[in-house]
Amino acid sequence: MAKEIEISNSESKFLLEALRQNYRLDGRSFSQFRDVKIAFGDEYGDVTIEMGKTKVHCRISCQITQPYEDRPFEGLFLISTENSPMAGPQFENGNNTNEDEVLIARIIEKAVRRSGALDIEGLCIVAGSKCWAVRADVHFLNCDGGFIDASCIAVMAGLLHFRKPDITVHGEQVIMHPVDEREPVPLGILHVPICVTFSFFNPMDTEENIKGDTNAEITIIDATLKEELLRDGVLTVTLNKNREVVQVSKAGGLPMDALSLMECCRKAYAITEEITDKITYVLKKDEKRRNKFADLLTSENARETS
Amino acid sequence: MSRLEIYSPEGLRLDGRRWNELRRFESSINTHPHASDGSSYLEQGNNKIITLVKGPKEPTSRSQVDTNKALLRISVNITQFSKFERSKSSHRNERRVLEMQTALVRTFEKNVMLNLYPRTLIDIEIHVLQQDGGIMGSLLNGITLALIDAGIAMYDYISGISVGLYDTTPLLDVNSLEETAMSSVTLGVVGKSEKLSLLLVEDKIPLDRMETVLAIGIAGAHRIRDLMDEELRSHAEKRVANASSR
Amino acid sequence: MSFQAETGILTQVDGSSQIQSQKTKIFCSVTGPIEPKARQELPTQLALEIIVRPSLGVPNTREKLIEDKLRAVFTPLITRYLYPRQLCQITLQILSSGESEQEFTQREVANSINATLLALIDAGIALNSMCAAISLAISSDDKLIMDPNDEQLKAAKSVHVLALELVESSTVVKNVLLLDSYGDFNEKQLFDILEQGEISLLKLGKEIRSIVESKIINSNLIIQK
Repeated sequence: MAKEIEISNSESKFLLEALRQNYRLDGRSFSQFRDVKIAFGDEYGDVTIEMGKTKVHCRISCQITQPYEDRPFEGLFLISTENSPMAGPQFENGNNTNEDEVLIARIIEKAVRRSGALDIEGLCIVAGSKCWAVRADVHFLNCDGGFIDASCIAVMAGLLHFRKPDITVHGEQVIMHPVDEREPVPLGILHVPICVTFSFFNPMDTEENIKGDTNAEITIIDATLKEELLRDGVLTVTLNKNREVVQVSKAGGLPMDALSLMECCRKAYAITEEITDKITYVLKKDEKRRNKFADLLTSENARETS
Repeated sequence: MSRLEIYSPEGLRLDGRRWNELRRFESSINTHPHASDGSSYLEQGNNKIITLVKGPKEPTSRSQVDTNKALLRISVNITQFSKFERSKSSHRNERRVLEMQTALVRTFEKNVMLNLYPRTLIDIEIHVLQQDGGIMGSLLNGITLALIDAGIAMYDYISGISVGLYDTTPLLDVNSLEETAMSSVTLGVVGKSEKLSLLLVEDKIPLDRMETVLAIGIAGAHRIRDLMDEELRSHAEKRVANASSR
Repeated sequence: MSFQAETGILTQVDGSSQIQSQKTKIFCSVTGPIEPKARQELPTQLALEIIVRPSLGVPNTREKLIEDKLRAVFTPLITRYLYPRQLCQITLQILSSGESEQEFTQREVANSINATLLALIDAGIALNSMCAAISLAISSDDKLIMDPNDEQLKAAKSVHVLALELVESSTVVKNVLLLDSYGDFNEKQLFDILEQGEISLLKLGKEIRSIVESKIINSNLIIQK
């Protein structure tokens, strides 16, 4: 029994009335994304993302296995997004057939795996017999809405941060060098998809929404848990910095005008750019922290002093 | 493998259509009057879909009772023989199918006047006999027809269609060959409006092309709505004629 | 044994804690007392659902074994008769195990026990007494190592986990809750472990108490404001 979270009538009325008057409970504007905090652990590919109270942890790992028979030149890549009751009692352990959980898993899958964000051909070691299997384990620690957005950032930041052990191939023989012997190598990332979720509210009655042309529906970005519980419709747009739409999912819900949906995509692009830059920035900072002496060793430094 | 010419320089597609032409669209309703309260059979190109609506009826278990509105349940059965090569597994509990069902339920939840049928269950069963691309759109059309046949109150038609994007040319109503060769967008449009109830993009599309693709899609969906409307009206006329002749 | 701990960090559960000791990092959440599923319900006392999730891959028998050990420790510790027909859900998420997962569970078990205790206190679940746990190893030159790291575990002749029940402001040991030993060791060494373990666990117990105390003082300050 997954306990459903319930929200009281007075609280839901308060929240909706506030939205009608252009206010959100946490004081954000309608199109403001929560501040994303990205923290890396000691190991490569260990990332914690915090967005407001939402907290997601992602751990990337890899091992050598046999590739699929029908795809001998490709490595394996798997994303696991299993929920546990830690994120809230509404999630049941080991049961991931809940509608929302299926949608989360599918959207992450489409955004990251199907869009080819990770170069899986680069994971091939010996065609047909050996390849890398990369695994991303996403753990939801605290739920305050925006799981899709947060886990997508977590997986991408994790993949960018991860290093796999260096290998040497002699014919069929593969030697894996421990991390302390040889500098590990990063994964091939082809693009960085970022998910942005929009929530729709209908301030008027259903008929006005379907027949009318006022288009007065309220659109907010990055809803919190309470807003998620009360919303009438949801749209998740996944974009990358190359102005490509990677995935769009508006699985039913409140019918929305096509032009306002386009407007959402455009807004999402600005956020995508911002978050991608942020990921690059924290990655650079982490790299510096890990390798304090890199500056001393580079030839650039030598030239500066002379 | 020889490369197929998806869109020839003369402006013809694999099956001889122009970029803005729909596939053959044939539908009939009340095809299974004894098995269900409303039913439809739809052929959209080579997609062949049977939709059965059962209800509003008494919910099978106590936990399904909602005192405010009807419960909508949709199950999609993609038959193992629906593609050229027989699939080894039944698709029942695949995540992809679960996702489709959820999307369909959430689309029709907002369009069917569920509040008129409290404490009941509306069960929709879909059997995909053959699939040839743009299946999600066809499912929407099939459900709309079957719901109307069942006499369940709705705000408007929902018509579904997929549009592909070949380089810079949008191609309306893609078949499976086109679908595998390029990225496509699936839309669910409400009636004659420009409102989208469903919008799914599963592959990369340039952001700046989205608008044209959507525009073509909406136009195509409106055309499908008219085709469905025509079929429904002719069916109704036949029935009225039958009833009055008795 | 040095560790950092924090409580009350998650908002959707009744109690939570995060513990980090060397490279081992664990999150724990406690929800309860809540309504149980029919098959979990116990007519006279609180039912416990313990879930351990590994940082890599899916939970399997190894995690089940850790769950069982935790259950053995906490079943006598929680005042279960106070909550008949209720359920307490304890979820542990291991962020970083700090040991070779294929060979050892010692560090995870010991730290999970400490994390769970803190989360239970944070959730306000009634406890009969406190507990504290530590992992130990006996090295190849027969030296006893407290809170060994991964290399020390690998080089050890035997590895152990010790959990003790502490009473009277964590000054007296009441019971041994768990003593889990693997490897080659003799009777004298085992008693040595109990003896040395007791000393450091009493110290650890005080540390845990001070964490809880400072937490209470802080929350009182907030209430007074």
